[in-house]
Amino acid sequence: MKADTLRLLSTKGSRQGMWLLPLLIALGLAIWLSVQTQQFLNAGNLLNLVAQGMPLIITAIGQMFVILIGGLDLSVGSVISFTTAVLALDGPGIVLIPGVFVLAALIGLCNGVIITRFNVHPIIATLSMQYVLLGITRVLRPVSGGTVPDVVIASVSGSFLGVPLPVFWGIATIAVAWKLLYGSRFGLHLFAIGGGVASGTEDAAHNFGIRDRRNIVLAYVICSCFAALAGVFLAGRIVSGDPNVGLLFELDAITAVAIGGTQLSGGVGSLHGTVVGALVMALLANGMNLANVSPFIQTMIKGAILLLVVSLQSRKKMGL
Amino acid sequence: MTILVEMSNIAKSFGGTAALKGVSLALAGGSVHALMGENGAGKSTLMKILAGVHQPDGGTISRDGRAVSFGNPADALDAGISTVFQELSLLPNLSIAENMFLGREPTTRLGRVDYARMNEEARRALAELGLSLDPGTLVSELSIAERQFVEIAHGIKADASVFILDEPTAALNAADVEILNRHIRRLKGEGKAVVYISHRMDEIFAICDTVTVLKDGALVGTRPLSEMTPATLIAMMVGRELAALFPPRGAEAGEEVLALSGLRVTERSKPLSLSLRRGEIVALAGLEGQGQQKILRALVGQYAPVAGQATVKGKPFALPASAASGVRAMQARGVGFVPEDRKEDGLFLGLSIAHNISAALYSMRSELSIAGSYQRLIADVMQRLQVKAAGPGAPAGTLSGGNQQKVLLGRYLAAEMDVLLIEEPTRGVDIGAKAEIYRLLREFADRGGAILVLSRETVELIGLCDRILVVHGDTIVAEMPAAAATEHNILDAALSA
Repeated sequence: MKADTLRLLSTKGSRQGMWLLPLLIALGLAIWLSVQTQQFLNAGNLLNLVAQGMPLIITAIGQMFVILIGGLDLSVGSVISFTTAVLALDGPGIVLIPGVFVLAALIGLCNGVIITRFNVHPIIATLSMQYVLLGITRVLRPVSGGTVPDVVIASVSGSFLGVPLPVFWGIATIAVAWKLLYGSRFGLHLFAIGGGVASGTEDAAHNFGIRDRRNIVLAYVICSCFAALAGVFLAGRIVSGDPNVGLLFELDAITAVAIGGTQLSGGVGSLHGTVVGALVMALLANGMNLANVSPFIQTMIKGAILLLVVSLQSRKKMGL
Repeated sequence: MTILVEMSNIAKSFGGTAALKGVSLALAGGSVHALMGENGAGKSTLMKILAGVHQPDGGTISRDGRAVSFGNPADALDAGISTVFQELSLLPNLSIAENMFLGREPTTRLGRVDYARMNEEARRALAELGLSLDPGTLVSELSIAERQFVEIAHGIKADASVFILDEPTAALNAADVEILNRHIRRLKGEGKAVVYISHRMDEIFAICDTVTVLKDGALVGTRPLSEMTPATLIAMMVGRELAALFPPRGAEAGEEVLALSGLRVTERSKPLSLSLRRGEIVALAGLEGQGQQKILRALVGQYAPVAGQATVKGKPFALPASAASGVRAMQARGVGFVPEDRKEDGLFLGLSIAHNISAALYSMRSELSIAGSYQRLIADVMQRLQVKAAGPGAPAGTLSGGNQQKVLLGRYLAAEMDVLLIEEPTRGVDIGAKAEIYRLLREFADRGGAILVLSRETVELIGLCDRILVVHGDTIVAEMPAAAATEHNILDAALSA
C-alpha cells in the first residue's frame, strides 16, 4: 500500500478511530459472499440481512454514546427483552409504545445516576441493572408469547414506495444519532469527557465548565432508549414478547462498536464506524447462516472477534 | 481603581491539613497582581477557589461588590473569571479551536456547533499570539510549548474581566514570554484584573503592580511592587524560624556508596552528577517540580531519563533503568526507595504492620523459597521505631500518618539497606512524629547509611541534611553545606540559575 493510503487507514490526526479498514472488510465480505453463494445477492436475503442487522445497528449506536465517554452499558440486552415483554402486555399501542421509551429512559437515568453520583463502576452498575431487568422481564413473561400492537408489526414488515420499512428505521436512527453526536454541543462535550477519561484527567472536561455528570447521565439515557427502539423493532419481527430475545445483545453491540474503530477507553470513535462495525457483524452472521454454521459456533466466533479487536486497540492512551 | 473581586477570610482544608487559613485578596481592575509564596503556601488552592474548582470551607467572595459562590468552574466562567491553569489541562482528542471554545461553543440557529466561526476566531487569537497553527489540528499533535500557548489563548480570549495565570511561562522561552507579557499589558490597559503566579522574579517585576505573599496557607501581606526589591520580596516569602526539631549533624562522611554521572533528565536539560557518601544525608532542594523527583526516580526506573550512569558501591550500570524491575534491582543492591505517597505507592494499607515491614525482606528472597518467619526482627524494628499500634497484626491503614511513615521506613531498616532514596519523609505527619523521623534518619546515617532526600519543605531539608543540592530546570545548579544554607539563598540560587 502507498503511504497515503496507510495514512488514511491510520487514526493519526483524527478522533474518528480506525473506521476505513472495517469498511474495506465489510465490502470484502459482501463481495466474497456474493461470489461464494448464489443466495446472498437475492432480494429476499438482502432484506433479511437488513432486517436482521437493524436491531444490532440501533443498539450499537446507542452503546457508542456510552463508550465514547469511557463507559460501558451491559444492560442493553435486558432492555431489549424487557421492551418486547412490555409491548406484549396486551394493551393499547398508544400507551405501550411511548411507555417503553419512558421506561427505558428511567433505566438509563438509574444507570447514569448510580455511576455518577454513587461512583459505581459502569460495568458493575449496568451488570446489576441487567440482572434486575432480567428478573422483572421473567415475571412479566416467563416464556415467549403474547401479541404486540399491530402498528408495531406493520412498521417493520411493510414497505413504502417499494422500499422495505426497515430501511427507513435505519435512516431515521442514523439521522437522530448524527444530530446528537455531530450536530450539537452535547456531542462535542461527550468527546471532551471521553478524552479526559482516556488521558487520565477525569476532571479535565469539568474544569472547562462542562456539566459532565449531566452529560454522562444523558449518554446512558440515550443508550437505553436506542436499545428500547431495537426492542420495538424486534417485537415487531417476532410478533410477541420474548424474555430471551435480547440475550448477549450487549456483547454484540460492544463488538460492533469496537470493530468500527471506537476506542473502549473513550474519546475516539465515530458514528459511521459504528454503523460499519454493525454491518460487518451482520454480514458475518448472514454468511455463517448461509453456510449453515451452528449458532453455538457463531457465538464462539463473535467472542473471539471481540477479544481480537479490543487487543488490537492500544489500551493505554488515545491511540492518536 | 475599582475592585473587581474581593476574597476575604478564605479558609480551606484538605483532609486534616489546613491549606488556607483566613486569606484575603482584593483584585483591582487595570492592575496585574502577583501572587507569591513558597511551594505549598496555598497560591494554587486560593486560585482554584476563585476559579470554582474547589469550594472554600469559610470566607466570602464578592464580585463587583455582590457576594457570590462558585459551585463549579462553569459558575466562575459565567461570572467573568477565566483561568490558565498551571498543569496542562487541554483535551488531546479535541482540536485547538474546540479546546479554546469548549464549554461556550458558538452555535448556529439549528443548534450545531458553529465550526466556521470557532475556527476563524481561534485562528485570529492564535495569530495575535504569533502562532500560525491550523485551529483544526488536534491538541495531541502539538508540542508542549504550543499546547501552553493554546492554553493561554484559551484563557485570555475569553469574554472575562478577571484573568488568573498560574505559572503560564513554565514551558515557554524568553521570546514567548515577551509575547505573553504584551498581552497581559493589553488586558491591563483594558481595565481587566490579572492575577499572575510565577517563580521567575524578573517576570514579576517586569509586569506586576502589586504583590500578595502567602506562607503556609496564611497571608503575609500585600504591597505595591514599586516598594519592593527582589531581596525584600524573598525575605517576605521566607522568614520562618527553624524549629529545634533536628538532631545534630553527623561527623565526617565516609566512602562513596552511590554516584550519578552524566544524568540528563530531559532532552533539553544539562547533564548532572552527584555523589553520596556513607554517613551523610543529602537533599535535592529547589522550587517544586523542577526535577528533584525525576532525578531520584530515575535511579529506580520510575522515571526514564535521556541518558546517564549510576554507580552503587563501585558497580556501575546505565540509566534509564527498567520501569518494571528497577525498584527491585536497586533493593538487591542495598538501595531502598521510599515513595512520596505512602498510601498509594508505599504501604499495603489493608495488610498488617508485620507484612508491611517484612515486604522488602521477602522481595529479596528467591521466588520459590519457603517463607521464613521474621517475627523477632519485626518486633525489634517496631520497638526501635516506637511505632504506636495495637501490635504487629494491626492493619497499616489504622495507624496515624506518623506511624504509617515509620512503618514504611521500618521496612527498609529491617532489610538493612545501605542507601535510602526518600521522597517527602514527613508529609502529613505531625510535629512530634517529624522529630522522631528525623532522629531515625540521622541514626541510620550515623550507622554508615547514606540518604538522598527531597522535600517540598526547604526548612526540613536545611535542618536534616548535611549537604544541599539545588535543582532547577531538571539539573543541579548549586551545592551548599546545609549548615550554611538558608531558605533565602536556596531560593536565590534556584531563581538566579
